Amino acid sequence: MNLSEAKDFVVSTASLKEVRDFCREIFDKINLPQEQKDELVLAIAEAAQNIVKHGYKGVEETTDRMEIKISLKDNDLEIGFFDKGKAVVPENVKHRKLDDIKPGGLGTFFIKQIMDNAVFKKDQNGWVNHLVLTKKI
Amino acid sequence: MSYKVTEEGNISTVFLNGEIDMDVTEKAKEVILPLVEAGKEVHLNLKDVSYMDSSGISVLIESHQKALEKNTKVVVKEVSKSVLKVIMMAKLEQILNLE
Repeated sequence: MNLSEAKDFVVSTASLKEVRDFCREIFDKINLPQEQKDELVLAIAEAAQNIVKHGYKGVEETTDRMEIKISLKDNDLEIGFFDKGKAVVPENVKHRKLDDIKPGGLGTFFIKQIMDNAVFKKDQNGWVNHLVLTKKI
Repeated sequence: MSYKVTEEGNISTVFLNGEIDMDVTEKAKEVILPLVEAGKEVHLNLKDVSYMDSSGISVLIESHQKALEKNTKVVVKEVSKSVLKVIMMAKLEQILNLE
């Protein structure tokens, strides 16, 4: 099955549930084990959360929107995230060491665990950041 | 997210319900941490938590660490399968008190 769907969301923690619902609706159309669907929803929600938490750090409230595009071609799943927050320096995107037990720093780790690849692209088309997550499913 | 708290002796049980993400972590901490600060043994019942992300995991870690400081403990109970998966991905199953 091939598909491509996109939706934009206000950059806010209040949008994260909406992001998950959007993903779940799409993954319901794909024949995948529920466990894998749950993992993919988690990875996407963590990436969206990173935009809110880090891209808009210090911003109380914004009307800016972020866009999430989910595409499936053959068995290649690609999820694009577009935002106009602070420019990400990919080299600075790190997760904490797992044995350094403390709150925070796990979102990026989850994304890396779940997805095959996470790359910031330079083809922003008016956006500031364009993150692409890919996974063979 | 919604919650219910029951008390029995020195044990406070917090029943969390719904999805725990960054949008509700402050609310969750406002419920849990004062109980820990008061020296209560806190049982977090996650039977009705269907989703938890890294923010929710941070609440569990912070509560656990605060409890150690206060010489008490936080016990995480009846974890749903999907939440247990996230806890295990973070390799916290040996750190948190899971029952």
